[in-house]
Amino acid sequence: MKLVVGQGSCGIAAGASKVYDSISKYNDGKFEMGISGCIGMCYLEPIVDVYDGNELVHRLVKVSEKDGEAIAKAASSGDFSTVSNLFISEEDSSFLSQQTRIALRHCGIIDPNDINAYINADGYSAIKKVLSSMTPEDVIEEIKVSGLAGRGGAGFPTWFKWNAARSSKGEQKYLICNADEGDPGAFMDRAVIESDPHNLIEGMLIGAYAIGASEAVVYVRAEYPLAIKRLDEAIKQAKEAGFVGEKILGSGFSCNISYKAGAGAFVCGEETALIESLEGKRGMPRLKPPFPAQRGYDDKPSNINNVETFANVPWILLNGGSAFSAMGTENSKGTKVFALTGKIKRGGLVEVPMGKTLRDVIFGIGGGIKNDRPCKAVQMGGPSGGCIPFELFDTIIDYKALGATGAIMGSGGMVVMDDSTCMVNMAKFFLDFTTKESCGKCVHCRLGTKRMYEILTRIVAGEGKEGDIELLEELCVSIKDGALCGLGQTAPNPVLTTIKYFRNEYEAHINDKKCPAKACSDLLSYRIDAEKCTGCTLCAIKCPVKAISGEKKNPQVIDNEKCIKCGNCKTVCRFGAVFVE
Amino acid sequence: MITVTINGKVCVAEEGKTILEIASANGIEIPTLCHHSSVKKYGACGICLVEAEKMPKLMRACSTVAMDGQIINTESERVIRARKTALELLMSDHDGDCKGPCSLNCPAGTDCQGYVKKIAEGDAFGAVEIIKEKLPLPASIGRVCPHPCEKACRRTNVEEPISIAFLKYYAADKVHNEGKHVVATKAPSTGKTVGIIGGGPAGLTSAYYLASKGHSVTVFDAMPKMGGMLRYGIPEYRLPKAILDKEIEEIASIGVEMKNNFKIGKDASFEEFCQKFDAVIVAIGAWKSMGVGCVGEDLEGVWGGIDFLRKVSLGEETNIGKNVAVVGGGNTAMDACRTAVRLGAENVYVIYRRTEKEMPAEKIEIAEAKEEGVTFKFLTNPAEIIGENGKAKQVKLQVMELGEPDASGRRSPVPVEGKFEILDVDTVISAIGQKVNVAGFEGLELNKKGIIVADEYTFRTNNPKVFAVGDATNKGASIAIAAIGEANKAADVVDSFLNGDVVPYVAPYVSERTVTKEMFADREVLPRAVMPCRPAEERKNDFKEVNLGFSDETAIEEAKRCLECGCHEYKNCRLIRHANRYKLNPSKFSGEKHLHETERKLVSIERNQGKCILCGLCVRVCDEVVGKGILGLVGRGFKTVIKPEFKDQGVITYCKDCHKCVDACPTGALKFINE
Amino acid sequence: MCNSCNCSKNKSDLTLLDGVLEKYASVKGSLITILQNAQEIYGYLPTDVIYYIAEKTSSTPAKVMGVATFYTQFRLQPIGKYLIMLCQGTACHVNGSAKILKTIEEELEIKDGETTKDGLFTLKTVACLGCCSLSPVMMINEETYGSLTSDKVVSILRELRGKEVQ
Repeated sequence: MKLVVGQGSCGIAAGASKVYDSISKYNDGKFEMGISGCIGMCYLEPIVDVYDGNELVHRLVKVSEKDGEAIAKAASSGDFSTVSNLFISEEDSSFLSQQTRIALRHCGIIDPNDINAYINADGYSAIKKVLSSMTPEDVIEEIKVSGLAGRGGAGFPTWFKWNAARSSKGEQKYLICNADEGDPGAFMDRAVIESDPHNLIEGMLIGAYAIGASEAVVYVRAEYPLAIKRLDEAIKQAKEAGFVGEKILGSGFSCNISYKAGAGAFVCGEETALIESLEGKRGMPRLKPPFPAQRGYDDKPSNINNVETFANVPWILLNGGSAFSAMGTENSKGTKVFALTGKIKRGGLVEVPMGKTLRDVIFGIGGGIKNDRPCKAVQMGGPSGGCIPFELFDTIIDYKALGATGAIMGSGGMVVMDDSTCMVNMAKFFLDFTTKESCGKCVHCRLGTKRMYEILTRIVAGEGKEGDIELLEELCVSIKDGALCGLGQTAPNPVLTTIKYFRNEYEAHINDKKCPAKACSDLLSYRIDAEKCTGCTLCAIKCPVKAISGEKKNPQVIDNEKCIKCGNCKTVCRFGAVFVE
Repeated sequence: MITVTINGKVCVAEEGKTILEIASANGIEIPTLCHHSSVKKYGACGICLVEAEKMPKLMRACSTVAMDGQIINTESERVIRARKTALELLMSDHDGDCKGPCSLNCPAGTDCQGYVKKIAEGDAFGAVEIIKEKLPLPASIGRVCPHPCEKACRRTNVEEPISIAFLKYYAADKVHNEGKHVVATKAPSTGKTVGIIGGGPAGLTSAYYLASKGHSVTVFDAMPKMGGMLRYGIPEYRLPKAILDKEIEEIASIGVEMKNNFKIGKDASFEEFCQKFDAVIVAIGAWKSMGVGCVGEDLEGVWGGIDFLRKVSLGEETNIGKNVAVVGGGNTAMDACRTAVRLGAENVYVIYRRTEKEMPAEKIEIAEAKEEGVTFKFLTNPAEIIGENGKAKQVKLQVMELGEPDASGRRSPVPVEGKFEILDVDTVISAIGQKVNVAGFEGLELNKKGIIVADEYTFRTNNPKVFAVGDATNKGASIAIAAIGEANKAADVVDSFLNGDVVPYVAPYVSERTVTKEMFADREVLPRAVMPCRPAEERKNDFKEVNLGFSDETAIEEAKRCLECGCHEYKNCRLIRHANRYKLNPSKFSGEKHLHETERKLVSIERNQGKCILCGLCVRVCDEVVGKGILGLVGRGFKTVIKPEFKDQGVITYCKDCHKCVDACPTGALKFINE
Repeated sequence: MCNSCNCSKNKSDLTLLDGVLEKYASVKGSLITILQNAQEIYGYLPTDVIYYIAEKTSSTPAKVMGVATFYTQFRLQPIGKYLIMLCQGTACHVNGSAKILKTIEEELEIKDGETTKDGLFTLKTVACLGCCSLSPVMMINEETYGSLTSDKVVSILRELRGKEVQ
């Protein structure tokens, strides 16, 4: 009997370490303890998996520290009926059963700190196969057959980049892994590194072999300390085991892998900015051409792929490119990982074959909207992407089909919004982000995003002017045309898509000074329904500015002059008497 | 070699050249701001965007290597939209004055700051050269101009404005006194002829600039001498005619023909006149006085203000008697009353229906009139001029009080019922306004007030070859410098007309700061120079000039008070040049901006954050060319600024004398200070 | 450390950096790594440390400063004992992080980026902590707090403050 506690960042944040310690405390030696990474069911963390040999016999969810003793006793006795209240429900189990996992295939199953766990799960057999029987050209061909495209968002064919870097002249070449996952609301890469770092290392080794690089670097977000720790450990183990370093597995191929921590700049997800940052400079994008494949890191030919892209590579080499391309649609092959969050019942990591619909993911796997409120839209691709309204949820997951809506596939951020989300405010949120993250180099982005943010700010404050929508649209077009890098060129997307699908919300803010989602506090007024109010005065007590008055046991009244629209009254009212206009 | 088509022009170039390089080698200008041949390509400004056929994205011409067979458009609609947005965005974060408020408030747009600086440097000749780019009569105008420039002067935030007008007078006199002349160089003859009717400031100005452009110009005037109102409306004690004569001679010296005693309608009909010239400019001024508008205004001894001044200038007998009442509160009223004093009148009154505060006349004129013994009858208005034997004997004054403010914001006077005052007078001079006399100018379109209608931007009348400027047009009489401003602009328009195509005057777009008094709190208080003048007791007896002029020392000290608001790089600034070329809507994206802040951390370089466009040229030049890396980018996004290293509180001296960064700066954000 | 002038007192102990510089100073492109280590040592990046790093890496202070001010991770001022990192990611935004921010600002009487007068708390908003399913989320030093409400935040902060008072 072995108890495995999922210890990804969100599991730990939810208390997984405490659960582990608590069970360990009561371990009478009759069962083993272990950890794994993240299974992706973040909403059920902490999760404890019970294994009998290699077989998963129970999955306990939403475990708390105080359950430790009971679980330990159950494990000791083998009778888990005492903790059956913690068993995962059938419905929740369907979260996983509806997925097809390739990039995440080991996540939440194997111990990320143990190279042997990876090796036992077929790990490092792809690189063995490659080094013993394939030329770099064969590898590139296999990737071409697979149809694998960059999972960082742009969807550029991976084989093409590899081939360009391979063909580029130069003694020294670099392979770089982009793990600067900056989209606020996405955590696919973090989960892969935390849960299955050797898979990434193996994918990078194959890539390095294909392009002829002897140096490989992972550029990882500094905000992911656990991922960095596990990656560091994994690289050490891989070196010791002879998978990384000189003459790997006795072949002529040598490759060193290292990592560098970023220091907090979204723009460093852009490949030329990433290179600048790797070189220890301000992460400001370079002009392209020259492309990194020609002159990249240290002015040497470089190839950059995203974590998820590499995570697919060992599987493709083991199972064949055609097995990968058998999944998906005509122009989007394989699977895609999404971080499903927002107003969703079951949030977490989801990997599905291309071609599934948004509805399949959001309603099928995700279980629909929290509290069964009406669904409004989903934001794909974070600040560079766009929103897709509920009416278009039959759109399939496919680079082209998603692009046609005005959004993008993106790196995998999928934030679901319900009717209480104001779309203008959402656009403002993203522009606030891009304004802060703009490196400041090019005019269109530095000032264009700032001005868009200012216009959106005045609209949500009820100070929008006639012509503001058109002004935004005009700015959007010019910024897309004029910005230097991908960050700026895609920054208008959230604005363009919200205008495209929710123009009426913009108009309501500007013309009627109303927020249809009742989210923009400057456009709201709180009132108390005298019929429903019992005069308990709880709201008056909780009001921070003493804006609520009235006799006890009589209906209360809000003074709108004083009201700061904090919403406390509405939150505390037990009778639903407070409403918003 | 490769072949590229740019804007339809086939260009052959070496392989590996950028689009920008090929375009500029072929005389096609692609605007840039952040590009400099001495440093690595950067691509920040996004102004050099161009479009190529079959390419989905716009490309930066500065860095994109051209490909064989490429068809490029550098001015497509899409390119211009993106380029214009970049410029509009840049201007939205630009806090600087292209020109000083003095210059912007001068109707003739004289470069006040420019010539004041020359004076501060002791270079009067250089100052006059600058002045004469906009007005050919500096000594005269320097004496009489009510100087709107000074009203706009930022120095008022510290104490008082720079004495701009008198500095002009000083510089022009100094050049004359040294026996020197500043005159425009004359372009080769065009063979075109221009006839100008009216030899006042407007006519003379048009004549000067048109002649300098090579046209053959003749000025006609009905009076015996040239100068118009400057000669016949301004008293000798304010503007000695010898000074005016010198300046008119200078205008004549570049080949302007001058014909006096010529009157349209008498010596030639307007139609005949027009036939003789390729273009005609009507600059006849406003020479008719407005009547007092009360009973008795036709009596003997009742004069029009300018009629009176003209008679005195012509040396004609006036017989004004002992008691003179001047009606009106403007500068003409002041000229009239002070002239009356000098003619020996014992009691001179100024009748004005409001209070001193509302008087439109220059404060100094009022003060000097008082010193000379003029009595001001404020809050009175002539109700009737009482005559005896057909001659004015008394004025009955209605006493007034101030009521509610009118449309102009001035409180309008209302009669106090039944309250009157009687004044014994020999002469009443009405100085309450002027009208245009258009007799003889048949065929020209007039407005409701009987004034000639001329287009605001082309100065053209309803007759395509006839242009009109100055007091005789549109809104009627104004100040001399306004007429000069129109005349100068009209000279350009007429020149374009003579070259075949009328190009209307367009005021260039300039960047302007909004300032508050607090921004000047740290400035040292330096009082304005006082113009020395002759004592009242002495000067009231003759027509010799009242003012004595600045000494060199006073003028230089005064000129040094200038805050130099206008940008030192205005003429070379690439940002404003491109901004004007693409006709921006400057306020389109107004929002938060980096404010005008100057700093002298580098010993000989003043940096101004408000004008920085973050092209990074200074940083890159200092690093890549000079190899010092003193300047750096600090912060990120909108908040990014450029700063030198920061450890020492003192200035960084080891960058001295290189100023390559200043040379590379496309705007005026960096200024080399040579001390 | 005296940041406002070049006076001799309150200088940072630069020898603490020797190990880091020995390891990285000559390795091209290591500036960010060096700064990260320096911040680890000093808690922030004092001016004299920046100058020292510039000197030892043959760079210029302007360049080092440029990097230090580009990345949000670096601080030029000391921080409080408790660093509150409030997530502003999309999921947190959708789930009401703006209100949490307001609550913290009101409770501690500081704005984003500021430190309380007693030097106890520094508030910093961050792009995304990657714990979206627990949104809204904040981290205080190493500890993560999820599913925040205004009341919850207030009690967490008061508990920490209470601990200090004792």
